[in-house]
Amino acid sequence: MKKNPLSLLTIASSKGRVTKRYPFEEPLMTSEFRGKIEIDESKCIGCGACVNACPPNALELLSSSGTKTLRYFIGRCIYCWRCIDVCPVGAIKGTREFELATDDVSDLYELLIHEEAKCSVCNSPYATVRIVRYVATRSPSTEGYVSMDPKCRQEKFVKAIEMRFGGLSA
Amino acid sequence: MPNKVIGRSIWVFHLNSGSCNGCDIETLDVLTPYHDAERFGVKLVVSPRHADVVLFTGPITIESLPKVIRALKAMPRPRYIVALGSCAIGGNIWHASYSVVGGVPKLLEILKDEGVNVDGVFYVPGCPIRPESIIYAIALIKGIAKKKVKMKVKKAEP
Amino acid sequence: MSFSDIVERIKGVRGVTEVVTSRSALFITATADALKPLAMEIYQIMGGFFRTCIGSDERSINNCFAIYYIFGLDDRGLNIVVKVYADSKKPELPSISDIVPASDWCEMEARDLFGIEFTGRASYRLILPHGWPNGVHPLRKDYSYDSRPVTRAVSERLTLVDTISTVPIGPYHPALHEPEYFELYIEGERVIDVKYRGFHVHRGIEKLGESKLTYQQVNFIAERICGICGFEHSTCYAQVVESAAGIEVPERAKFIRSIVLEIERIHSHLLWVGVVAHLLGYDAGFMHTWRIREHVMTLAELLTGSRKMYGLNLIGGVRRDIDLSKKEKILEVLDTISKEYIELASLMVSIPQVRMRLKGSGVLYKEDARKLSVVGPVARASGLRRDVRKDLPYAAYRYASFNVPVYDDGDNFSRLMVRLDEIKESISIVKQLLDQMPPGPIKVEEFIVPEGVVAISAVEAPRGEDVHFIITGHGRPFRWRVRAPTYQNIPALKHMLKDQPLADAPLTIASIDPCFSCTDRVLVIDSSGSKRTLKLGWGLG
Repeated sequence: MKKNPLSLLTIASSKGRVTKRYPFEEPLMTSEFRGKIEIDESKCIGCGACVNACPPNALELLSSSGTKTLRYFIGRCIYCWRCIDVCPVGAIKGTREFELATDDVSDLYELLIHEEAKCSVCNSPYATVRIVRYVATRSPSTEGYVSMDPKCRQEKFVKAIEMRFGGLSA
Repeated sequence: MPNKVIGRSIWVFHLNSGSCNGCDIETLDVLTPYHDAERFGVKLVVSPRHADVVLFTGPITIESLPKVIRALKAMPRPRYIVALGSCAIGGNIWHASYSVVGGVPKLLEILKDEGVNVDGVFYVPGCPIRPESIIYAIALIKGIAKKKVKMKVKKAEP
Repeated sequence: MSFSDIVERIKGVRGVTEVVTSRSALFITATADALKPLAMEIYQIMGGFFRTCIGSDERSINNCFAIYYIFGLDDRGLNIVVKVYADSKKPELPSISDIVPASDWCEMEARDLFGIEFTGRASYRLILPHGWPNGVHPLRKDYSYDSRPVTRAVSERLTLVDTISTVPIGPYHPALHEPEYFELYIEGERVIDVKYRGFHVHRGIEKLGESKLTYQQVNFIAERICGICGFEHSTCYAQVVESAAGIEVPERAKFIRSIVLEIERIHSHLLWVGVVAHLLGYDAGFMHTWRIREHVMTLAELLTGSRKMYGLNLIGGVRRDIDLSKKEKILEVLDTISKEYIELASLMVSIPQVRMRLKGSGVLYKEDARKLSVVGPVARASGLRRDVRKDLPYAAYRYASFNVPVYDDGDNFSRLMVRLDEIKESISIVKQLLDQMPPGPIKVEEFIVPEGVVAISAVEAPRGEDVHFIITGHGRPFRWRVRAPTYQNIPALKHMLKDQPLADAPLTIASIDPCFSCTDRVLVIDSSGSKRTLKLGWGLG
């Protein structure tokens, strides 16, 4: 297996130049690459399924007066695309975007603001308008309950049972 | 024309503050034939005293924090930090653990207390970062490329 | 010795209260007094290897701390788990480090994280940062995940000896790519002793277990234990949960896992060969190995969606399939690299300077290797035939035939040769598996993970055997412990560096292919938030 150390030159010259001239030409990237995610604001219902699946909490659902904000922090994202797997309405799609460098960390936030629906009984906000509509169209029989917050809903349900059977303990 | 932050050759020092190695091997990969960052005059140096830019990886563990501060103090001015990867920017999966600081934005507050000035910070997201992401960041620093991301606030019409 | 002989011998040890047998493991419960005789029996008489020991805070279940010792009888593919209880008020156990030197670190880890004291040995702090208060043990269930008793660790120096000169290496040093601190004590040009302060990369991720972390999410954290061999960790984690829950993974998923594992091994070994060439001052070799490695990285991206951190594993299977066009691409890339790399490797090892630097330096003798239960290429370069793929076959490895390269010299050159040979074997394994890949689904979606089941799983990572241990809990693990290969190999550095020239030290440190981020992880996920009572039972793994 004796070899001449200079034969490395032969190897090198036979390979020629392999360097990609990126950013002046296409990067060395395949079609399968997982990059940043894109949330479609026309489809998202603000249910929070992606928030529960996200391992590093890059997606968070923040509540403030009358609104729910889905916050996507690119700087914490691990590009696992689990959110895409779990989204019930297919609002999240993956891109091959990787040119995300910036000099300001606030550039890396994306916010999607949802309006919250108010309970028809006590008038307190409880879920996004869109998720209420989503549930109502999916199962029309719940229409009487879906416009209330969980507490009022529970009370109404207990009352309905009492009317019918004369109490829960029976 | 985008701003040129550093015009001359950039000498970088690689500082691993508790990274998983993913970003570190991709950083090393940038110097190898396929990507070859030396095209832009980027040179990896072995001491922070020679560096213009420190390439920062990892979520900054408590154990490595004093060493990180010492290394940054040793750098000459102007000193720039490039935070590579999700750990260095947002703390990644371990952002709230008992033994990490959780990213460069939080480190900057500590540095302020310590009296260490930093002249500029660049953030390069990715987990791990692609070599091209690093090259893009270099191009950004040298004013070859334009910044593409911008904070987005969208409203879901009810 | 037959299987029933082993069981009989263990039952004969005074203090053994329960022995449960399963397909690939033997679960033993014993009193503290029985620990030493058991260790003697398994380690010295039966010739088992020591895998690791795991502390666990089970005060909420049975009002005790517990330690699980895992031994492996590699030649018969059997794991032996010994469980010993320690009192909740004053947890104290006899140390077995005099019989099994390899247990040194994990005993100290249990002391740091759970406050279990070990009698009959010298104790020191291993994992927690310098300045961490005494009596605070982060993995106890009553410790809140986000309390930070130390926010600014102070720099520390290990003990300095005046008469000999000290050479500090690290934590930031050109020859190291990760923050770790070695202190070499030098007399003339010879290294006479080494001290190591690691665990700079201790990230402790309990928070996630406390908040939203589910069984499926842990896969992604497991992958981020290490940026080089992450897929091994996530496979091992997925396997351990699958074995605890009795999930049958589709065959096709097992094949895909094995193929990607081998591709990761090729990339990892090429990376290492490059780094060693760089440390030898042979930068041309470094550049060319990494040029070849780039093909593997692009291939990994095509198969999984990312160059590193593949994000491919879920409990129950994998997320992406290998279709015909990808298969062709794999074969094409494998052909290129096998041709180019054999050309380069044979050139590299024939260069006299490379041979001279590597031959005879950093020797680890077979008896020391056995004593420290070292794993992976380090063990195989010291004449120990240990390979989890052969000993405890997992995924689809039983469908492939391959050799386990073993060299006897124990020096840096042997470790290089073991890795170079393994790349060849890996290429052939991928080809064999691609040929036999069965059709079918790639994951099962529906499964229930029962609570309180103990299970272990091992995977052969590029650096050696990787062990995951789990006690399942409600919605997330109750206790999860990872024993990374480097954890077992670093203590061997002391033997390798002793009486060696200082100039060889960085090379020898690199020769075990240390992955400090694996070692320092101590990833533990605890479900102390839930107030459910848990009954512990042995798994059927």
